[in-house]
Amino acid sequence: MTGQAFFVLTALADGPRHGYGIVREVVELSQGRVKLKIGSLYGVLDRLSADGLIEPDHEEAHDGRLRRYYRLTAGGRRALAEEADLRAASAHVVRARLGLTGPEAAGAAG
Amino acid sequence: MSGELDLEQRYRRVLRLLPRYYRDQWEEDMVAAFLDGWLTGDPDEDSVTMEYDRPTRGEIVSVIGLAARLRLGGTGAPRRYFAWGQAVRNAVLGVMLAHAVWGLSQLALFARSRHLIGWLPPPPGGFWPTLGYAIGYAWVVVFVALVVVEYRTARVGAVLVVGATVASVVHQQLAGTLASPAVTWAYTAVIDVGPVLAMAAFHRDAPPVRRWPWLLALPAWYLLVSVPVLAAELSGHSAWVPDVAGRCCLLLSLVCLFQAARVWSGRAGRGVGSLTLLLLAAVTGFYRVITLPIFAHDPHLIMVGLAELLILAVAAALVVPDAVRSQTAAPASPAYQELG
Repeated sequence: MTGQAFFVLTALADGPRHGYGIVREVVELSQGRVKLKIGSLYGVLDRLSADGLIEPDHEEAHDGRLRRYYRLTAGGRRALAEEADLRAASAHVVRARLGLTGPEAAGAAG
Repeated sequence: MSGELDLEQRYRRVLRLLPRYYRDQWEEDMVAAFLDGWLTGDPDEDSVTMEYDRPTRGEIVSVIGLAARLRLGGTGAPRRYFAWGQAVRNAVLGVMLAHAVWGLSQLALFARSRHLIGWLPPPPGGFWPTLGYAIGYAWVVVFVALVVVEYRTARVGAVLVVGATVASVVHQQLAGTLASPAVTWAYTAVIDVGPVLAMAAFHRDAPPVRRWPWLLALPAWYLLVSVPVLAAELSGHSAWVPDVAGRCCLLLSLVCLFQAARVWSGRAGRGVGSLTLLLLAAVTGFYRVITLPIFAHDPHLIMVGLAELLILAVAAALVVPDAVRSQTAAPASPAYQELG
C-alpha cells in the first residue's frame, strides 16, 4: 500500500468525507508532509474503489455542485488495520536497531 | 477564447486529457473537489478567483500523470487502453533492447582498450569518448532493470543517460564536430528522449515483463546480427552490409512477416503484438528517413535506403488489420496477462 493510499484510508477511518475533505484531512494527518493534488487524489480513490476498499456513501449539494462522500468498506477497514500493524512492526524493528526501545531507552529518555 | 473561460472551465479543459470512460465516472467529483480548494464562500473574492485564477502547474501535472496511467492502461484497464499500454511498454523495451545491443558493442571496444580483444581497433581516449562508452554501458543497465521490473532504477538510469547524451551532443555542436546537427537532434529527441518519456507506461498497474524472452533477445541480437556485421566490417567485406538504420528496418520487417504469418495461422494474441510492431515501425521508419540525407552524395545509397523503407512499410502494413483488432476485440480480463 502506498503512503498516499494509507493516508486516504486513514482520513476515512472516522467517517465519510468528500474529495476536498480528504485532501485537508490528509494534510493534517501527515502534519503537512502529504499534500494531494486532485489528479493524484482521484487516482488513489479510483484504485481503492476498484480494490473494494472504499465506496460512495452519499451526495450533498454545495454551491450548486454535488459533493460525493466516500466511506471505508469492511475490507478497507481490515486492510488499513493490517497496514497499520505492518508499519508499527517495522517502526518497532527500526527503533530496536537504534536502541530506542526497552527500559534502557526509556531510562535514557527520562 | 481562453480569456473568456472561468476557473471551472479551465480545469475541465485540463480534464479532457483523461479518457472519456473515466471522466464519465469522476469528472464532476473532481471539479467539485478542485473548486472547494479555491473558493472561500465570499462572493466578491470567489468571483475574482473564478475569473482570473488558473489551475496550478502541480494540478495540471497530476492530471497529466493520471491520464498517462489511464491511457497506457495496466491490469484492470478497459481493453483498448490496456492494449495501448502493453504496446507502448513493449515498444519501449524494443528501443531499449536496440540501445543495449549498441552498449554491448561499446563493451567490446572497451575490452579492446584493455587488450582483451586484439583484432578490434582501439577506441579513442579523452573525456567525451569515454562518456560515450559509459552511455552505452548504462543503456544495458537500463534495459535489464526494466526487464527485471526495477522500474525506479531504470528511470533514474535512463534520465542520467539522456542527460549525458544531450550534454555530449551540445559539446559536439559547440566544438563544431557535429556533422549533421538536425539529424542528431532529431535522433536524440525521438530515439533517446521519446522512449524514456514513454517509460511512464511502466506504472504500478503494469503487468510484469516476461523476463526470459527479453533477456535472451539481447545476446541473440548481438551474436546473430552485431558480431557478423562487425566481422564483415573488419574483414573489409562490408559494402553489402546495410547501415544501422537499414539493419533495423530489415530486422523489424522480418519480425512483422513472422507476426503476419502467426496472425494468418490463428496463433497470434489479441493484436497487441501487431500494435507494438506498428509503433516500432513508426520509430524505425523515422530513423531511416532522418538518416537518408547522410547519403546525399551517393544516389545509389539513397535508393537502397528508400528500398529499406518500402520493405518496412509493406511488412508493417501486413499487421495493420490485427493491430486494429486490438482496439475492437471483445474485452477480456487482463489480470494475468504479461508483456509479450
